[in-house]
Amino acid sequence: MEFEIDDAMRERLAVVRERGRTEARPKGLEADRLGRPIPVDDPYFKTLIERGEGRTRWPGPDGKNRETGAKSTRTTVMALLSAEEFAYWDRGVGVAQPGPGLPEGNVLSMGTDEQKERFLSRFLEPDRPRWACFGMTEPSCGSDAAAIQTTARKDGDGWVLNGAKCFIGGASRADWILVQATLDPSKGREAHRAFFVDQGTPGLGGFKIEKKMGLKAYESTSFSLQDCRVPDENLLGGEARYQQTAGFKTAMRTFNAGRPVIAANAVGIGRAALDEALAFAGDHDMLGRERVRDRLERSARKLKLARLMCLKAGWLADAQKPNILEASMSKALAAQVGQEATSLGMELLGTVGARGDHLIEKLYRDVKAMDIVEGTGQIQRVIMARHLVQLPR
Amino acid sequence: MFDFDAGDDLDLIVETARSFAGEELSPRLRDHESARSVDAGVRAKFSEIGLAGLELPEAAGGAGLGSLARALVNEELGAADAGAALALDPLGAALYPLLELGDEGTLRELALPLLEADAARALLVCEDDAALVGSIDSAGDRITGSVPWVPSDRCDLLVLLGRESAVVVREGVRLEPLHGSGLRAAGASELRLDEAPVLARWRGRPGAARAMARARIHQASLLLGVLRQAADFSRQYALERQAFGKPIAHHQALAFLITDMRIAVDGARLLLHEAAWRLDTAEGGEAAAAAAYAEAIDASLLVGPNGVQILGGHGFMQDYPVEKWMRESRALGLALGGLDAAREDAGRALCDGAEKSSFATFSFGEAV
Repeated sequence: MEFEIDDAMRERLAVVRERGRTEARPKGLEADRLGRPIPVDDPYFKTLIERGEGRTRWPGPDGKNRETGAKSTRTTVMALLSAEEFAYWDRGVGVAQPGPGLPEGNVLSMGTDEQKERFLSRFLEPDRPRWACFGMTEPSCGSDAAAIQTTARKDGDGWVLNGAKCFIGGASRADWILVQATLDPSKGREAHRAFFVDQGTPGLGGFKIEKKMGLKAYESTSFSLQDCRVPDENLLGGEARYQQTAGFKTAMRTFNAGRPVIAANAVGIGRAALDEALAFAGDHDMLGRERVRDRLERSARKLKLARLMCLKAGWLADAQKPNILEASMSKALAAQVGQEATSLGMELLGTVGARGDHLIEKLYRDVKAMDIVEGTGQIQRVIMARHLVQLPR
Repeated sequence: MFDFDAGDDLDLIVETARSFAGEELSPRLRDHESARSVDAGVRAKFSEIGLAGLELPEAAGGAGLGSLARALVNEELGAADAGAALALDPLGAALYPLLELGDEGTLRELALPLLEADAARALLVCEDDAALVGSIDSAGDRITGSVPWVPSDRCDLLVLLGRESAVVVREGVRLEPLHGSGLRAAGASELRLDEAPVLARWRGRPGAARAMARARIHQASLLLGVLRQAADFSRQYALERQAFGKPIAHHQALAFLITDMRIAVDGARLLLHEAAWRLDTAEGGEAAAAAAYAEAIDASLLVGPNGVQILGGHGFMQDYPVEKWMRESRALGLALGGLDAAREDAGRALCDGAEKSSFATFSFGEAV
């Protein structure tokens, strides 16, 4: 066993920390204060692009990008440590980062070579900040992803999409959206297909940037698809692929790398709140009080525990071992203890927290989403119960 | 980097402990409890497999392993019968002050003979668990006081652990048998010291803190074993027992309780292993051990009683072992100052900032 990071990782985290301190935290506070996402043309994004960020980890048609692009050699554990540290500074700014984002993994694992070329090559050496996004959630289904209602109907040499999506990160600024739709809403996951929908495609519209409680630095956007026609080539992976695998995502059943990321985010936010709370309590001579110490101790202990759980889930994923139970566990627990840490921070602040201008107050709002996205805490327990007691679907 | 595997060597030791516990201890759970001792044949087998010398230095004929090995082995023994585990280990947690504060001579003279004796028990008592005239740290040549409960019916060697010293007593120790709430396989007594002569005294705050930390790992890992077993037993029961036309586990209120019990057990284990690893690699870890013990106790408050709850009326009856685990999980969390002392140590370390290097090897808790 080992519970230590190596020097390379320590250096890596030091970079994340420094950029978090000087860039992400101020940007996140600014967006929160102004109540709007960081604008597309914000110089911050330009700086990131100039620094070589916002790129794809697709090796490119000739494999050259292996050297210059985003590194795909990172282990899940390393990615989780970075995700935790970034979220410590500002989780919202982390999500707002330009790049191929959430759908990249799906495109890399399922996309055809032609699709990778068409949709990822623009992220090899992006000329400006560019985004892509993943359109799954709908107004009437969040955690129950199998119940999506957006339909895809075959029409000649293309597909016609109809439906509505909501809370989609970065949708209005994305170059393209990977839209999840169903061939038949009564057939569950096996009828699910994913389609690339380019920005500007007729029928894609009605973008509405939602007003949120927290995490304001990135846009969560609703939009509609009205007789939105995309060519055959835009079906992710091509139809032949679905004949073999019986629907979307079936290949990912045994391990999950997404939930531990949210867990790591929650630990990061909770840690930030704990550090702020410790600093505040220290400044106000509260650390001599047993009740205060006790609560801080509990919070630190639970955060550390959640971090270990999250890293264990990641470590299992790296070892290609089943981690569904651990992934759900880490997500359920981390979101909870992250929330408790921010809530404790508010309590120690007292009425200072009620003013609405303290970092802890922002963290208290921000962290709530960690118990909702990627499956709520309740859904994580359902998933766990399927494993532990074969809870029927 | 992070590695959650114990490795082949430790896996082998764990496997030995697991099969011994499953074959010899589990089937005799109630027998050992009512006899207030472990069957002589079982004791002989335990001596054979060599687990008693797990943490003894190799020079003293032991395996020279550390707290992580202890944590892994104790989880297996505790999962079968934590009381028997205490009864089987002649030195128990009393070994730690001897190792951390004492010298090789005293170890050889005081401790090793107990390994040869039949059913001998060395006991560790910490300041918070005793009512003493004066404190351990300031005690003179003789010591007087009482300890309301020790899980034993005999005391061949008593080690009293204070904040900055340890005292060894062998004569003048009187035990009054008690019924005991749990861990009865190890016995249960009130311990009295009446002008007991101090045989040896060692001072040193860091050593005392390390001894306490190792004792907490010892105790927490037995507790973890009990919790694992209680959670798993009740989970399996919930799959068999039907109510309202389906297994009770498929009622979501029960399903979620079962998941939360599993989260509690797995979480406590992670903190325990991290703390034990830290103690072994000599990077501090005292506060981590305190937190790990606190977490195991925290988990026991959920898992112990709910193990009974899931079995309903059957859980309350002694035909099933869950009531025993509920009692014993509570008893195991009361020693070494219990939850309050553990939280106080961990909390002080956090608030004094002493944690910054040991509690978190990276950024966690780092000043901003």
